[in-house]
Amino acid sequence: MHVLIVEDDARTAGFIRQAFKEQHIDADWLRDGDEALAAVLAASFEAVVLDIMLPGRDGLSVVRQLRARGNHTPVLLLSARGEVAERVEGLEAGADDYLGKPFALAELVARVRALGRRGGDLKQSVVRLADLTLDTAARTARRGAHRIELTCREYRLLEYLMRAAGRVCTRMMILEQVWDYQFDPGSNLVDVYVRKLRQKVDAPFATKLLHSVRGEGYVMKASEQPL
Amino acid sequence: MTLRRRLGLQYAVVVAVSLLLLAGLAHHEFIVEPRMRQRAGLAESSGSHWREYAELVFHALIPAVLGSGWWLMGRTVAPITTLARQFEGVHLGNLRTPLPRTAQTDEVDRLTDAFNGLTARLDASFQQIREFLLQASHELKTPLTVMRAQLETALRDAPGTATDPCGWMRGQLDELERLARIVDTLTLLSKADAGLVKLEQRLVPFDVLVRESSEEAALLAEPSGVQVDLAACARLTVRGDRDRLRQLLLNLVDNAAKYNLPGGHITLALRPVSGMAELSIANTGPGISPEVLPRVMDRFVRGVDGQNRGIEGAGLGLAICRWIVQAHGGTIRVTSEPGVSTTVTVRLPLAPVTQSDAGSPDEPNGVASMYLTA
Repeated sequence: MHVLIVEDDARTAGFIRQAFKEQHIDADWLRDGDEALAAVLAASFEAVVLDIMLPGRDGLSVVRQLRARGNHTPVLLLSARGEVAERVEGLEAGADDYLGKPFALAELVARVRALGRRGGDLKQSVVRLADLTLDTAARTARRGAHRIELTCREYRLLEYLMRAAGRVCTRMMILEQVWDYQFDPGSNLVDVYVRKLRQKVDAPFATKLLHSVRGEGYVMKASEQPL
Repeated sequence: MTLRRRLGLQYAVVVAVSLLLLAGLAHHEFIVEPRMRQRAGLAESSGSHWREYAELVFHALIPAVLGSGWWLMGRTVAPITTLARQFEGVHLGNLRTPLPRTAQTDEVDRLTDAFNGLTARLDASFQQIREFLLQASHELKTPLTVMRAQLETALRDAPGTATDPCGWMRGQLDELERLARIVDTLTLLSKADAGLVKLEQRLVPFDVLVRESSEEAALLAEPSGVQVDLAACARLTVRGDRDRLRQLLLNLVDNAAKYNLPGGHITLALRPVSGMAELSIANTGPGISPEVLPRVMDRFVRGVDGQNRGIEGAGLGLAICRWIVQAHGGTIRVTSEPGVSTTVTVRLPLAPVTQSDAGSPDEPNGVASMYLTA
């Protein structure tokens, strides 16, 4: 995966590049808004991590310019302020995601990966992972021949995790996409729901699909070891 | 007597005295002296009378009048300068000491009273901030102590003999996350105090939110076998910020599930009461002692010290709830019977329902955002 980091603080940029490198994500680095705009228009990046406070053109302006010129490269905005209002402003300017500082590197990586997949993700009506099948039209889930009974919210959580199969989904991402929260409501709601989902989807079957990644979030993938 | 009246009186007195002196002088000059002269047999020289009169007036009377007037007014206005000097002497340490009033009950006293009121309010605010900082640092010290202990233990253990070499690091990460959450919540509360948190003003179907949160409550309460019952859910609409209202409900049901007993109950009810939407959440559990109850919604206050050691939390949930409720123009009340149950009652003003509202309660009625203070 090839991304661009636009951040004027060398230390922060250093940490981000290191984290990306460990996750096999290629990252270029620029410090200036105008240079970034030119670079994104000239080359083809799968995602751009853009700090709002930049010398030259500021991050929001870069996004607006990109969208005005018909460029749809996914953009994740970074900001020291992290307020809900600024998040909304950023998304309205054309950004695809927003993280306030300080952020967890794992969170940034997870979100950038999610951005990278957006372009090619066609909304299939049937989603499969190992023997777990989701019929998104009928909103039902089955493992093998067994029908799994899920509440509305549980189903939405499962569908979100399934569509992101193989990629880690952080708690905050889940709260945003499944519960539509714009901020952290300060509860372990997600953990409780995942536990419930595990009881219904994993416990009765041999292959475990829903895994916790300590310090990051949750991921759905077929694993060989039964628990 | 007011400054105004006093100055007016002094002015009148000065004018009166001047006129009297003028009249007296004129009387002496034009009537008495000539009479004396006549008696002494001296000749009249009318011109000299006027000259003498004019000299006396200009060189003695007017300067004396002006001088005394200036002095009198200086004396009347002096309290203002004294007050200014006293203001300069006020600092953080003596904010609570009120400045003395003069005996006059005038505008200067009014200023003094207003100033004393101001410093009293400031002092109360600073007191609050001091206490809050003390509590906050105490709360933050606990996870820091745990982290320190973990690090020290890990350093002591010889590397390679520990069965879970990375366990302590994960523990550290957990504690750091907990610290970060506390800091985030504190930041939110501080911003809310300063009126810097933007809340939306939309029509919100409160009954839908309550129903959702009762489902969430059921899930949160399941591990301890606690039963959740939605006794009433009237179709009520309020005006405000949907996400913050959801946060309010989540915090309340979270508490109801946490501070409960195995096999206990949680009962939610949403009813219209005197033009407000009243939501009550009652839960069985250890309850809150009468000593703590008045402060239970303050920051970092949790039940009774020592009683809740096993339960996760920093005591900030109800503080957030109170902010959200008050920012929506509502009231929140906590009652409790120790050892039996606790009930939280929230009342929010109902949004006026018009014909057009009935069909789509989620339609933003023009998104007007408000900055609301706690």
